[in-house]
Amino acid sequence: MSETSIILTRDLTKYFTPSTNLIDFFPRMFAKKPVVKAVEGVTIDVQSGEIFAFLGPNGAGKTTLIKMLCTLIFPTRGEAIVDGHDITKDDEAVRRSIGLVTGEERSFYWRLTGKQNLKFFGALHGLKSDEIQRKIEALVDLLDMQEYVDTRFNEYSTGMKQHLAVARCLLSDAKILFMDEPTKSLDHSSAEKLRRFIKERIVGQEKKTVVFTTHVLREAADFADRVAFMDRGVVKALGTLSELKRKIKVPEATIEDIFKYFI
Amino acid sequence: MNLIGVFFSVLTFFFIAKLFGKAAAPHLQEYGGDYFPFVLIGIAFSTFLGVGLGTSAGALRQEQMIGTLEAMLITPTRATSIVIYLSLWNFIYSSFNILVYLLIGRFIFGIKFSLSHPLLIGAVFFLSILSFSSLGIISSCFVMVFKRGNPVNWIVSSSFDLLGGVYYPITILPGPLQVISHALPITYALQALRGILLAGYSFTQVRTEILALLGFALVLFPLSVLLFEFALKWAKKDGSLSQY
Repeated sequence: MSETSIILTRDLTKYFTPSTNLIDFFPRMFAKKPVVKAVEGVTIDVQSGEIFAFLGPNGAGKTTLIKMLCTLIFPTRGEAIVDGHDITKDDEAVRRSIGLVTGEERSFYWRLTGKQNLKFFGALHGLKSDEIQRKIEALVDLLDMQEYVDTRFNEYSTGMKQHLAVARCLLSDAKILFMDEPTKSLDHSSAEKLRRFIKERIVGQEKKTVVFTTHVLREAADFADRVAFMDRGVVKALGTLSELKRKIKVPEATIEDIFKYFI
Repeated sequence: MNLIGVFFSVLTFFFIAKLFGKAAAPHLQEYGGDYFPFVLIGIAFSTFLGVGLGTSAGALRQEQMIGTLEAMLITPTRATSIVIYLSLWNFIYSSFNILVYLLIGRFIFGIKFSLSHPLLIGAVFFLSILSFSSLGIISSCFVMVFKRGNPVNWIVSSSFDLLGGVYYPITILPGPLQVISHALPITYALQALRGILLAGYSFTQVRTEILALLGFALVLFPLSVLLFEFALKWAKKDGSLSQY
């Protein structure tokens, strides 16, 4: 682990068993039967101020990995240290350092306006009301949300919803932002705009660390400093594009070539 | 609409009291002998306690269904606190409801409540809320693990209605059932509240009930927090936090 490591995982593994019901609850307490290997033995080291991508097809385990790092899922095996805190032993401290943007639009209250949603989640982050107000005003300016922040969430377009998700993530001054397919459902130009904002503003100026998942090869190539190629729960390769080109010994390889080589 | 519902409910028991009132009088000497005020306090308070029981689990289930639970649990606020905050509005709303019951009783049906010990009434309410919301948090553990409505709430609320002295004094129950009644916090809450509001009891006369409620609160609250933390860990290990 280097001095600038902000996320470190060792052998991080998650197996899922079928969903819990009353009938098999008690037998399962005593029997360990791994059924789906969602993430298997992931060891990574993310540097502070880096944009790090998990790239892989659907079902590669990217979302499960992000959720483990966000303390929403506990690993079956292995460990992860986020901003100096263990995700299972000190999960509350981990959550003080992180924010999460998901492509999941159900994570907002549809009958509230964007601003009301931000106020609610700001309060859950322990911010005082005047602080929340100040931050919302700053974020609305930053993300150009003036026109729709007072509109009910159910009237938002996909792009607006994604901007609101980013705003929520930035409310708490988190050092690390996890983004699970942040450009999912966005058109090309909105996706590009969001990526530029994250790179220039969030990482460039605010010096935050961004860890995101994607299945879009070009997005990973253009946006991330380093990429971890994932397939069936396993990290098949990890590094900068030039490192990966060297690894496959094809200097002129594109990200598509690298993807085909490893996945 | 809710006010009308409350009024109709009170009216129903008013007529039931008219029908059976005199037959019930020997069992209600302690509270003035009149069935209507006795049952009015019973139904008003049991509605309130029903909220305490069901609101945490209901709120948690709702957040699971609409999809906001994960977004909440990624904040530094403790999950137990979130569940309690989510229940607060329902508590405020049902406090208003209980007031409506009592006001209807007072101004429409002319029941004379003794309000000489407001602090004592507040203490009974506070300890009852603590005990019943703890049971509510315990029942929300079931929702956290199994993602559906839970039998804990149903069993507890049914047994409270049957054995807690909501509609009749527990003295009419057979001996073994009375023993179970004395293991339920609602029994003590109702005895204390009826004593204070209908018979003007002072602290010394309801000391046993208040101490029993305090005991329930001291045991149930930490236990519920512990169980909820366990259920949350279970769901995180199971990876089912966002499932519904």
